[in-house]
Amino acid sequence: MRILVVEDDPDLSRQLKQALGDAGYAVDHAADGEEGHYLGESEPYDAVILDLGLPKMDGVSVLEQWRRANISTPVLILTARGAWSEKVSGFDAGADDYLTKPFLTEELLARLRALVRRAAGHSSPSLSCGGLRLDPRAARASVNGEPLRLTSLEYRLLHYLMMHQGRVIGRSELVEHLYDQDFDRDSNTIEVFVGRLRKKIGQDRIETVRGLGYRLAPLPGEPAGG
Amino acid sequence: MNKYAARLTIKELRRPSLVRRLIWLAAIWSLLVLLFAGIGLTALFQRSSLSRFDLGLYDITEGLYAGTTVEQGEVVAPALTDTRALRVYSGRYWEIAEPGGAGGMQALVRSRSLWDGELKPPPIRPDRFKPGSTVYYDTVGPVGERLRATARTVTLPSRTAPVVFLAAEDRGPIDRDARKFAEVTAVALILLGAGLVAGVILQVQVGLQPLFRLRRDVASVRKGQAVAVATDYPVELAPLSTELNALLVHNQETVDRQRTHVGNLAHALKTPISVMLSEAEARPGDPLAAVVSRQAQVMRDQVDHHLRRARAAARAQGSGERTAVLPVIDELARTLERIHIDKGVSIEWDADEGLAFRGEKQDLQELIGNVVENACKWCRRRVDVVAGPAGPGWLKVTVQDDGPGLPPERREDVLRRGARLDESAPGSGLGLSIVEELVKAYGGSVTLADASLGGLKVELLLPSVDG
Repeated sequence: MRILVVEDDPDLSRQLKQALGDAGYAVDHAADGEEGHYLGESEPYDAVILDLGLPKMDGVSVLEQWRRANISTPVLILTARGAWSEKVSGFDAGADDYLTKPFLTEELLARLRALVRRAAGHSSPSLSCGGLRLDPRAARASVNGEPLRLTSLEYRLLHYLMMHQGRVIGRSELVEHLYDQDFDRDSNTIEVFVGRLRKKIGQDRIETVRGLGYRLAPLPGEPAGG
Repeated sequence: MNKYAARLTIKELRRPSLVRRLIWLAAIWSLLVLLFAGIGLTALFQRSSLSRFDLGLYDITEGLYAGTTVEQGEVVAPALTDTRALRVYSGRYWEIAEPGGAGGMQALVRSRSLWDGELKPPPIRPDRFKPGSTVYYDTVGPVGERLRATARTVTLPSRTAPVVFLAAEDRGPIDRDARKFAEVTAVALILLGAGLVAGVILQVQVGLQPLFRLRRDVASVRKGQAVAVATDYPVELAPLSTELNALLVHNQETVDRQRTHVGNLAHALKTPISVMLSEAEARPGDPLAAVVSRQAQVMRDQVDHHLRRARAAARAQGSGERTAVLPVIDELARTLERIHIDKGVSIEWDADEGLAFRGEKQDLQELIGNVVENACKWCRRRVDVVAGPAGPGWLKVTVQDDGPGLPPERREDVLRRGARLDESAPGSGLGLSIVEELVKAYGGSVTLADASLGGLKVELLLPSVDG
């Protein structure tokens, strides 16, 4: 297991290297954003620990560039401020988990283990429909290369529609597949989620077939995917 | 004064008002001008009608003078055809007299209308009359009526002593005319004055409209309905609105600087504390490490607490900002679902499209983020977030989970600073004490209750921007 640590504080870096080494990981270290970005892009790591406040290039930009280059290595971000705006921008950039400084080494190791396990668990190939792409491994979707920001229900809805693209799917079928047993099955909420999803992926990608349900299809002129 | 006046209270009426000041000044000035104009007009009218009257009297004496003859030293008056002078006490009289005697004048011939009365001589002594001179004066007639009289002194041929021709007429009719004229003038001028005052009120109200608009503009900035004051004001007010906007920008910059400063401090302190903590952690059993670890944790809590306080202070001087609620919930739901992806938490949320929080986005993120994260920690699978209006000026965010819930007697503790009920759950404190502090800074409230899903229900009441 090979881990990249991008952190500018020398003491914290030394501690992290020590703890990760003791836990049996091979550790590379970068002290600034540019070096970290280069290493993450050129070497195959199993996970990255990325500080957000970095010299030369900040952590969020580093992460965004990796994700744009289709590098789906799980990334754990370290934030000092613990502000939600920072967490939101970190996750929107493609982070998989976060820790607020100061943290306990044990907790970092536990999070890292979960991250690596999760990344290894998913192996289904990515789906596409015109400009839409969905990567079940990383639970991420994008439209025309731009990452989509979806909640889990929106993601599940899109996933189901993409798996059955071209087919008209009834509302009750969607309710069956999207909700657990304990959820109250109100098919009206499906409309709400379809509405939100349309706003995020484009109004015309999901077609309403009156009386029958919804159908996902590529836009006219876009090549169909598989 | 339309709705502006209706809104004034007694207390406000005692305070100086620009509108009232302008109206009073204009009203007093125009009333003074109108008063003098009225007096002047009436006097002018009186004078001209009196001089016309005097001319009539002069004609009588002229007629007397022309027709009077002296026969054997006796003065003989002409036979005048004026019938009024023949009727007794008719109000028109004439007399031919000579200066001298006890009354200063001795009648030689008089009109029939005088009967046996005499016209009173002018207040100037008759012996000082120069022949050919004419005087006009007011006097009282034989039956007590007010008379206008004229006396003309002439020297007749073949008579050495000068003779005075007197003519008088009741001045009642012209006095009545003058009074009537004064009355009509007064009514007309009062109407004119009222019209002028109404015009001034209208002018002030319309003219000061930009001032009232500026007030409304500033109010809507304070309420968070606008970011800046409009700049299309008249030249007199434009500098004020420009200054106001500059002040707003300056204020915002101060808040931002403060926040950046606070953030930098946080970053600077947290990394060293983190290093100390894990360094101490690596030496179990070492008493120094135990002390360092304990103290570093106290430092961490203190830093967190005071940073929050500093942020709240920075917020207090900030102007009312407007933050749309829906996108904040959407991004937090996404982020929190990813954070709790191993647990498979599903966050269902619903919010009105136009709902807006009156305050900083960062604060709304902290509020909803901490409450929802707490719900994610304790839930089994599901968290519900609903945001909607709660009366004018307020909105409500309700967060429910399907976890074990919290017994009522422990709910108080959760909101107290430093209380950590979730020592078993990963991460730092419940986050709800932070929420309580922040909500209080915004004048809102936090309520804990049982959720219909089975777990804890947290309700946040927060100020909203309407419309």
